[in-house]
Amino acid sequence: MRYKTEKVDTLIKGRSLWADGWRRLRKRKFAMLCFVIVLAYFALAAAVYLDEFLKSRFAAQGYTGLRMFNWSQTVGPSYQPPMEKYAWTPDNAQAPQAGWALLGTDFLGQSTWRKMVYGAKTSMTVAICASIISLMIGVPLGALAGYFRGKVDDLVVWLYTTLDTIPYILLVMAFAVVLRNKTIFGWEIRGITAVYLAIGLTSWVSICRLIRGEVLKRKESEYVLAARAIGCSNSRIIFRHLLPNMFHIVIINLSLQFMAFIHAEVILSFLGLGESDRPSWGSMIDAARTELARNVWWEMAAATAAIFIISLALNIFGDALRDCLDPKLRTD
Amino acid sequence: MNRTVRTICLLLVGSLLPAGCSKKNGPVSNDKVFRYPLVAKVKSMDPGNVEDVYGALIASHICESLYTYHYLKRPYVIEPQLADGMPEISDDHLTYTIKIKKGVFYQDDSCFPDGKGRELKADDFVFAFKRIANIRYVSPNWGGFKDRIVGLDAFRDYTAQFKNEFEVDYSKEVEGLRALDDYTLVIKLVKPWPQLLDDLTNVVTAPVPKEAVDLYQKDMNYHPIGTGPYYLKKWNKAVYLELAKNPNFRKEYYPDQGAADDAAAGLLAASGKPLPFIDRIIFRIIEEEQPAWLLFLRGELDVMGIPKDNFSSAVDFGALRPTEAIRQRGIQLDIYDQPSLYYIGFNLLDPVLGKNKPLRQAISLGFDRKKFNELFYNDRWTIAHGLIDPEMNEYDPNLVEAGFSAYDPQQARRLITEAEKIQGGPIPELSIGTVGGDPFSRQIGQFVQRQIQAIGLKVKVEYVDWPTYVEQMNKGDMQVFAGGGVRFNAPDALGVLQMFATKFFAPLGNSFFYSNPEYDRLYDQAEVMFPGPARTELYRRMERMVLADYPAVLTNRRVQWTLRHGWVKNFKPHPFLYGYFKYMDVDSENQNSYKSRTKGLEKER
Repeated sequence: MRYKTEKVDTLIKGRSLWADGWRRLRKRKFAMLCFVIVLAYFALAAAVYLDEFLKSRFAAQGYTGLRMFNWSQTVGPSYQPPMEKYAWTPDNAQAPQAGWALLGTDFLGQSTWRKMVYGAKTSMTVAICASIISLMIGVPLGALAGYFRGKVDDLVVWLYTTLDTIPYILLVMAFAVVLRNKTIFGWEIRGITAVYLAIGLTSWVSICRLIRGEVLKRKESEYVLAARAIGCSNSRIIFRHLLPNMFHIVIINLSLQFMAFIHAEVILSFLGLGESDRPSWGSMIDAARTELARNVWWEMAAATAAIFIISLALNIFGDALRDCLDPKLRTD
Repeated sequence: MNRTVRTICLLLVGSLLPAGCSKKNGPVSNDKVFRYPLVAKVKSMDPGNVEDVYGALIASHICESLYTYHYLKRPYVIEPQLADGMPEISDDHLTYTIKIKKGVFYQDDSCFPDGKGRELKADDFVFAFKRIANIRYVSPNWGGFKDRIVGLDAFRDYTAQFKNEFEVDYSKEVEGLRALDDYTLVIKLVKPWPQLLDDLTNVVTAPVPKEAVDLYQKDMNYHPIGTGPYYLKKWNKAVYLELAKNPNFRKEYYPDQGAADDAAAGLLAASGKPLPFIDRIIFRIIEEEQPAWLLFLRGELDVMGIPKDNFSSAVDFGALRPTEAIRQRGIQLDIYDQPSLYYIGFNLLDPVLGKNKPLRQAISLGFDRKKFNELFYNDRWTIAHGLIDPEMNEYDPNLVEAGFSAYDPQQARRLITEAEKIQGGPIPELSIGTVGGDPFSRQIGQFVQRQIQAIGLKVKVEYVDWPTYVEQMNKGDMQVFAGGGVRFNAPDALGVLQMFATKFFAPLGNSFFYSNPEYDRLYDQAEVMFPGPARTELYRRMERMVLADYPAVLTNRRVQWTLRHGWVKNFKPHPFLYGYFKYMDVDSENQNSYKSRTKGLEKER
């Protein structure tokens, strides 16, 4: 038997969770500003990648890359303070380079500004790759543990509880030391790769625990029972029904973890376990540690300012995202 | 409940009080204390196993060798230390008979009966030398003895059958090493060994009591027992080392002769007084420069090298003296050459670098040594134009013009084209290994990378820890190594020439794996030659032969700029003498009053 349905004009058009979240987020001006800042950091990182790609692709045609990202170029004398000897006149041949020394130079006469910009690429790369790795491990493990319970659950809980007992930074350092300069299946793990692998492989615990709890809670809900009743397989229930309904939780968690990943990268680079060939905020602070004795403060200031701004923006944006996407926190 | 909490709080506070008070109100010691900073942990103080400067420095104050350098005389003069007079040398220069001083006792230690140090015997030298030859002991100093003493190489082969060093029977005779009696040592050589006396000044050849090795075994690295003026009192591997005056130390007196201007400099004021003057030597291990610098300014360290980032505030470079602020603190500046050679080495077993001399030459020509010196050493060090140090007799002043250390990036780029022809295509990315534990090393790594990139080569830098660096370099696993250099222990240049002989392939010193049959032939001639014009000419010829093959980019030589508080007396730098603290003195009164004076200075600022 078939029933005809009629369009009821008086019905209010429904909004998805995401559309509703976006609507709420847009109302928060400061959170939106932070979102723009975060996007700007991402855009910078993407632009550096694009520039490097174009340089390798069109080197023969004479493309040498954008000046803004050419951090290894000497733009002035060693340790030139910010704003000093800044003579940007049209007839000065050095002028275009001197402009890049606006925030001072390092021991090789490289622009602090350019290194700070390049540091964004390093940090964003690490944070994104570590997020992907931690999601790829944490989400399936959490879902399997919560859904199947029993021995699978015991194993996963034992694994993440064991990892959780080791202080985070020590664990990341240990992984970084073990992984760096190694070749695994023909893949040479160097610099930044060792950093994001170390962070990713050690940071899946919180997302795993969260997903496990959510799956435990939701596996008896109506839509899962309905899916089971119509004969869906376990994998279909987990990956097509449960996980998409929990995705907002993953996003909220990730936005807050992202900041922790950036901090971990800075700490590793500061300790000499991170990026060594290219600038990173951690290595800039590390270099400035001894240079402060000769009043070279600008590298430290530039790196900490960059970290401060992205940390603040991510924090505020993450909080706002959680408020907007988590229905339990809604008051309106 | 409240009473329990109160009791616990009182107990806690009570337990903390003595710790807090002891420093300020505890008894003030009248001991003369000398405090010296170390920037790295000490690997070993066991004489046979000493391989770095710090190990040698500490071991030389605990253990003594047969001979030593006169503290004050220049040019450098060798004099007996544990030996009773200079050796009796046979006409063919193959037999050395050395008398040993009577009445020299080891420090008291539980390895001896009743804990009382026994008298030194000639057998202790025989044991010490055989121990270095023991293949299971894995001494880094074997290279100096190889093919030198009759029967010692055979003894080394014999030890190979044992699983560990302690199973070896040391009573097995070695023809070239015999103790005729308790006070006579006879060394028979395979061939003349002109540097033997120089080598016998090295702490590596110090006597070792077998009782100590039997008791401490592997722990000998941190339990040196010797006849020296000090003994190891306290030791904390990562932080602190303390030496205290050895009550068993024989009667030894401050020298009454010196160089021409020593009397005017007050260096002979202590002539004839018994040694040592200082009661305790404290080595503080501080890996970071800035905390060490601040401790020095506060008067908690007595001497200090100058960190590069503090150089301009500490030294008036033009006037070669400390700045006014530093002089107000009574601090003095000592500047002296330290025979050494720093370089960026090429592994010649590498398929890319080994066969490509233009490539190695290009890298050498593309390296701006002057800029390197300015950036990292405040222009204090000198550029190395050759292998042999200017402090050595065989130094060739004409090498500067030969251009082995020239900077010519344009010529370097031209040579790269030639190198690519030999390679049969573009030069693949090169890999430089360096020690990267601190910002300074990483900055050096970056600088070297930029220099090589500037001539059109691709290069990556691998930062590793020191043990990994040494292991990879010695195994030939590192393509280019830029982690340091060598400091010479004797005024004879054979040590640096040895670094390029095939028979001394790493780990015996030739980490470049440089092999040149003609050079090896000349080396065999040179190592048995006594000082003279013929040897000087041969050394110089060999030096040019190596330089022309570019097995390394020679960078610079160390010139030591050391700041010293005014209360440290009798200091005269000696590049080859390590155990010299026994000659130094400390004005404790001045040392103790410094802190209050410093506070005044800080308030003024």
